Amino acid sequence: MQPRIGFVGLGVMGRPMAQNLLKAGYTLAVYARRPETARVLAAGGASLTGSPREVARASDIVFTMVTNTPDVEQVVLGDDGLIHGLAPGSVVVDCSTIAPGATRRMAEILRARGIEMLDAPVSGGEAGAVQGTLSVMVGGRPEVYARVRPVLERIGKTVVHVGENGAGQVAKAVNQLILVTTLEACAEGLALARRCGVDAGKVREALMGGFAASRVLDVMGRRMVEEDYDPGVEARWHWKDMHIVMGLAAEVGLAIPAASVAAQNYNALMSGGGAKRDTSLLVKLIERAGGAA
Amino acid sequence: MERIGFIGLGIMGRPMALNLTREGHGLTVWARRRESVAPLAEAGARVAASPREVAREADIVFLIVSDTPDVEQLIFGSDGIAHGAARGSIVVDMSTISPATTRDLAGQLAQRGIEMLDAPVSGGETGAVQGTLSIMVGGKPEVFERVRPFFQCMGKNIVHVGPAGAGQVAKACNQILAAVNIEGVAEALNFAIRAGADPRKVREALLGGFAYSKALEVHGQRMLDGDFKPGFKIRLFQKDLGIVLDSAHQMGLALPAAAMVAQHFNAQMGAGEGDLDGNSLFRVIDRISAAKEL
Repeated sequence: MQPRIGFVGLGVMGRPMAQNLLKAGYTLAVYARRPETARVLAAGGASLTGSPREVARASDIVFTMVTNTPDVEQVVLGDDGLIHGLAPGSVVVDCSTIAPGATRRMAEILRARGIEMLDAPVSGGEAGAVQGTLSVMVGGRPEVYARVRPVLERIGKTVVHVGENGAGQVAKAVNQLILVTTLEACAEGLALARRCGVDAGKVREALMGGFAASRVLDVMGRRMVEEDYDPGVEARWHWKDMHIVMGLAAEVGLAIPAASVAAQNYNALMSGGGAKRDTSLLVKLIERAGGAA
Repeated sequence: MERIGFIGLGIMGRPMALNLTREGHGLTVWARRRESVAPLAEAGARVAASPREVAREADIVFLIVSDTPDVEQLIFGSDGIAHGAARGSIVVDMSTISPATTRDLAGQLAQRGIEMLDAPVSGGETGAVQGTLSIMVGGKPEVFERVRPFFQCMGKNIVHVGPAGAGQVAKACNQILAAVNIEGVAEALNFAIRAGADPRKVREALLGGFAYSKALEVHGQRMLDGDFKPGFKIRLFQKDLGIVLDSAHQMGLALPAAAMVAQHFNAQMGAGEGDLDGNSLFRVIDRISAAKEL
């Protein structure tokens, strides 16, 4: 029998992910803080509920996709949270990007009630969410993963069970470290090309054929060249994620100097009106530090 | 006569509290670990059973503990100061915690008619023992004036910086400068050594010029002597710089150099050097470029 699915958090990422589950034929119960975001899903046959607790009562597996650690804790453990509606043996699958330590603590609290949890953060952006081609990095018990995997394969193409609870969030932190540090490198490189009076677009084009090619240089590099800073990925998400990454490095005792420089620049982006603009705006910050208008 | 309470009798708190008793102030104390109160009891201090009881017995309660959650717990926990303090009494937090949390705490205490000063210190264990700490104070001017005579028992350079939180802001600035200065000294002395110059002579030459700093004088000497005894431990430095960088994150401010030093503190924690003095940054710089097969 197919598991009944619940979904909490229907933002830019959550909504298309939930829609893909609906399209795959799952029974879906949803909750969103703003009911209007759930309308599209209701039209597709999802049942709207009034709280995470109600979603939980109607579901065997509940996905959560919200902004940060306190939001996840509220949805899972809050007064009207999932924990109060889930039956033993059911599963919480948190797709949000939060600190690994927080995920482990929540998994323990849930386990004491016989409820399972997977951390399953994703990478691939809005496009990946819509097309169902996300990368999903999963932490949790192997047998729980095995149960949820067919569902995860409806929202993502690359689904990897990384390890125990928290391992998915560690993988996501590493993903963000590499992504944002590469963004910093692309921003510095293209800013340097421009300052040398060379066409940054041509430089990017040339580099895309060689060893310095990357998805970031391709997608975000194009935005830097075209000065197209409508999001996309809003800079504030990378600002938030890099804070998680830096906290993790402090916790485990490892220096990650390049990432720390990028994280500091994202702080500055928040002051420069960059919060809700595309993350590739980073290039402007590099140029401004060097005296560009 | 103001009655005095003191909570937190660690490396810093104990000598600070002892200095208050030496100046003849009757003192009620409390510490999480019973053994920490013994030297104070011997000096005539009364030992209370809880922070709440200290507050009942005192008009001014000083506290100095490790971290933000500790301070919150001591003030608003179930046996906390807030439940014992009378209206008009004063809580003086000398711990190093976040400026934003400090403002919240001061606001919550104000609702109960309790005054608060944030008064973090600089000067380390030596300054605490000798009563020569720098004390940077945030809070109302009239409250500061009431507490000033007691600050003078513990410190020499006592500055009322501004309203609630301003003391913690000053302390954060202090930690930025301390960390970046020590990093500079560590890098410069490593450079001297690798370049084949006598680092002691280099230090001596630089002390007379524009690169002079207390860090070069004191920490530079200790680095060259291989003396990494704390002083101020790496793990606390890491914690303090963490507060600074969290605040900068919230404010949207880039602090690239401070963030880099924080990375080196991380590396030291990973290498098991958390209990060495801050000047052991010297070892990270040396280690990164060690002439040893990787």
